[in-house]
Amino acid sequence: MQSVATPGNESSVREISRPRKLQVLGILSGFTAGAWLGAAEAPTKLVSVGVSPMVISLIMVTGVFLARWSVPALILGTSSVRADLRRAPHLIIWALLAGCLWAVANTMTIFAIHDIGLSIAFPLWNSNSLLGILWGFIFFNELRQAGWRRWTGVLGGALVMCVGATLLAIASSTQAPAAHSLRGVWAALGAGMLWGTMYIPYRKAYLSGMNPLSFVTFFTFGELGMMATLAIGYLGLSPLWHELTSARDVLFWLMLGGFIWVIGDVFQQYAAKYVGISRGIPLSNSNQLWGLLWGIFVFGELRGSGAFTYMQVIGGSLLMMLGVGAIAFSSAAGKEQAQWQEAARRESRRYHIAEDYVEARMQGMEMAGEIRPPRTVWDWMLVAVATAIFVFFATLARAPRLSFHWGPAVLLIAATLALLLVCGTTLWRTTRFN
Amino acid sequence: MLTTDNHDRPRTWLSSVLTDIHFWVPLAVLIGGLLLLQSIR
Repeated sequence: MQSVATPGNESSVREISRPRKLQVLGILSGFTAGAWLGAAEAPTKLVSVGVSPMVISLIMVTGVFLARWSVPALILGTSSVRADLRRAPHLIIWALLAGCLWAVANTMTIFAIHDIGLSIAFPLWNSNSLLGILWGFIFFNELRQAGWRRWTGVLGGALVMCVGATLLAIASSTQAPAAHSLRGVWAALGAGMLWGTMYIPYRKAYLSGMNPLSFVTFFTFGELGMMATLAIGYLGLSPLWHELTSARDVLFWLMLGGFIWVIGDVFQQYAAKYVGISRGIPLSNSNQLWGLLWGIFVFGELRGSGAFTYMQVIGGSLLMMLGVGAIAFSSAAGKEQAQWQEAARRESRRYHIAEDYVEARMQGMEMAGEIRPPRTVWDWMLVAVATAIFVFFATLARAPRLSFHWGPAVLLIAATLALLLVCGTTLWRTTRFN
Repeated sequence: MLTTDNHDRPRTWLSSVLTDIHFWVPLAVLIGGLLLLQSIR
């Protein structure tokens, strides 16, 4: 097989240290994903009660849909997305499947929080990282020949994060009355199962060489289609429309939450690509820590709580950071990387995808002689339409009256943007967003 | 070097999908999730 080429067609020499660079990039992407997925909770906190959870979820997904088309169009161009799909058309099925899994899981979390409260529900669905490790091992050769130290780092780190998440969730819990506790437990476990399984399509796409930005554009059809079906099925078309029109003041905040969530998810996709799902999912799950920072410092959620609650928060946060650190220092080494490549070759053979293309993309490169299609007028139109829709809803939005602390908000926004800048620049320099 | 274009793909990729366990596991979990959602409503 011909040796493959080049980040952005610039260098023809494959660097020996490249796998290490990609591991670091994947870990950085996981951290950044956690920050942005956590920040996505902030706009939704501006929405007062009175809006159906199903409507909240549907509107967020609408914002997600707009972002999932406009962001890739801006960064990559839809011609590149089409070129990716021509090489691996079968992945459309997995993208739709993953989108459907996400939507059903998200709906289940609404029931779970309602029935058993966040404190019990969150740790239960956070088990998705353990399931992700299992699927990664069984299906994609992750952690094979990794050695006991890396196994301990990844599995131990994920378990420590689960304990930390439990403490944080208990501290931040609203403690909803446990009217249907068994139903809530099933819903939370179901959400964890669906979300953990959703990473099978993610990993499959990246072992087939697909660009994460291409994958998410089709993922979102499954997401929006399933969410709209569930919302119409649960509420009925006419009541749903009535709720949407009566909630027009807050639609923008929910769509903005969806937009921010997409930025986080894009980095989560790169984490899944470059460090695998066994490490990428736990790193992204640090979003709970960021969500809590927003809740405590910006929205004053724990004001008036006792010392015990603050001890839980500090202890939970330390455990989360410890778990993240353990996973970050357990990156895949040579033998495990060889197992990943074997899994990628298996996908190439099964779906007749050119091995040089898959190998290049696994290395975050383009094939020798490959020219990325330029952006077209359609890309700019997509971006313009998405922007116009956001601006339109922004004109309808009203700023709610609630406790909001600008100082910590500015600090958190600056930290989140700094991560975006650092990780985005590193991704561009290392992979040209491949 | 393997070729980039695969002219036989349209005839074969659907059957490859349908015989791939990576397809059936997420599908089974999705169906299970929908049934669970229906039962807890």
